[in-house]
Amino acid sequence: MAQLTKRGLIAAVVCSDTFMKLGSAQAKVFGVPDLPLLKIQHPLGGISMDKVRERAAVALPQLLQLLKEKQS
Amino acid sequence: MSSLANMLQQPGALIECDDDPEAVFELLCAHGWSDGLPVIPPTPERIERMLAYCDRDLDQAVVKIPPRFGAATPVRIAANAVMAGCKPEHFPLVLLALEALAEEPYNLYGTQATTHPCTPMLIFNGPIAKEVGINAGANVMGNYVRANAVIGRAVRLCLVNIGAAIPGTGDMATAGTPAKFTFCVAENEDNSPWDPLHVELGFPKEATTVTVVAAESPHNINDHESLTAIGVLTMAAGTMANTGSNNAYYAGQPVLALGPEHAATIANGGMSKAQAKQFLYDHATIPLGKFSQEGIERRFRRKLADQYANATLDTLVHMCAKPEDLLIIVTGGAGKHSQYVPTFGNSRAVTKGLKRLDGEWVHSIHELKRG
Repeated sequence: MAQLTKRGLIAAVVCSDTFMKLGSAQAKVFGVPDLPLLKIQHPLGGISMDKVRERAAVALPQLLQLLKEKQS
Repeated sequence: MSSLANMLQQPGALIECDDDPEAVFELLCAHGWSDGLPVIPPTPERIERMLAYCDRDLDQAVVKIPPRFGAATPVRIAANAVMAGCKPEHFPLVLLALEALAEEPYNLYGTQATTHPCTPMLIFNGPIAKEVGINAGANVMGNYVRANAVIGRAVRLCLVNIGAAIPGTGDMATAGTPAKFTFCVAENEDNSPWDPLHVELGFPKEATTVTVVAAESPHNINDHESLTAIGVLTMAAGTMANTGSNNAYYAGQPVLALGPEHAATIANGGMSKAQAKQFLYDHATIPLGKFSQEGIERRFRRKLADQYANATLDTLVHMCAKPEDLLIIVTGGAGKHSQYVPTFGNSRAVTKGLKRLDGEWVHSIHELKRG
């Protein structure tokens, strides 16, 4: 994602709340401190498909908002 | 090359503190620069002494340690080695281990940040391991012997202090492992019936090597009854095969650390190390039906579909992808116990030899002494 951002594409990382600190630290390490992190509830592993869909429903509006902001 | 004195002039290089062990420990803990145990204060004088056996430029990064990708310069590594309690003679082995960990197949980034409880297991072979006193005998994976304790500890401190593998932010281990304090052994080459690991891997016997493995804690194999190679290996295979192990899912390289008495029983039965590996590959298996229904459907049938999409429930799941992936070493003292060391899985063992700058093998640690 860092490479895509550096190439000028709109990129983001879906990140569970427990991993937000790691995600933002890694964005800085890879030179894209403003890389958007789409926050979802932890965990993502070991959950039912219904729960996965719930998290996708939380992430999707964040993604759409990001696209609007970046394209405006 | 910058001198240590010049490097210490840089802003932030030095922190002043009361000359009191408790005050120093409190300060380091407050900064998150300890492993929770007391450390030796890394004063400039001690760092300089630690670098007595370093043949590298002091300010040039030997490796970069993720997830921060912090530059591990000899000075920074030396500060951590001082804190860990290393002797200067240990320093080249700490540096060698870090170089091995940084090689891509090890996947240091993944092993540092994962929720899995893995840590570098350092396996030393060759003459320098013995010269600097790394234990290969009784209680080899336990406490008491300084070299094992401090070399592994120094590596861990570097992973935390330089690489920022800080629990909860850079090291996301759910529970971790006590092996994160140190996990450093030497192979008991004198009491092995086979070629030692480094010779098996193509290094000359006179070479000193470290093999790094992304290891879980060891699991004991107690077998006081078996009198044959097949008997001992059957017990080992039973210990190796468990459904919660990453080695059931990834093409990893678990370690079987045989006690010398078990190794002798296997070798006296006429079995080579390669034959032992083949036996363990064949017998350390789990029928697919032993995994949870969800595990079968979600992991095996989907993520590992090329192997298991239509596999029957009696299909055997192996603990490594091929027999030669299993690492077998001989280590420890008297007794009918061996150790199985499961691994992260998504990582390959890396072996690196200790050479002088002129490319020759180091035959004595004193060849590396400056001046």
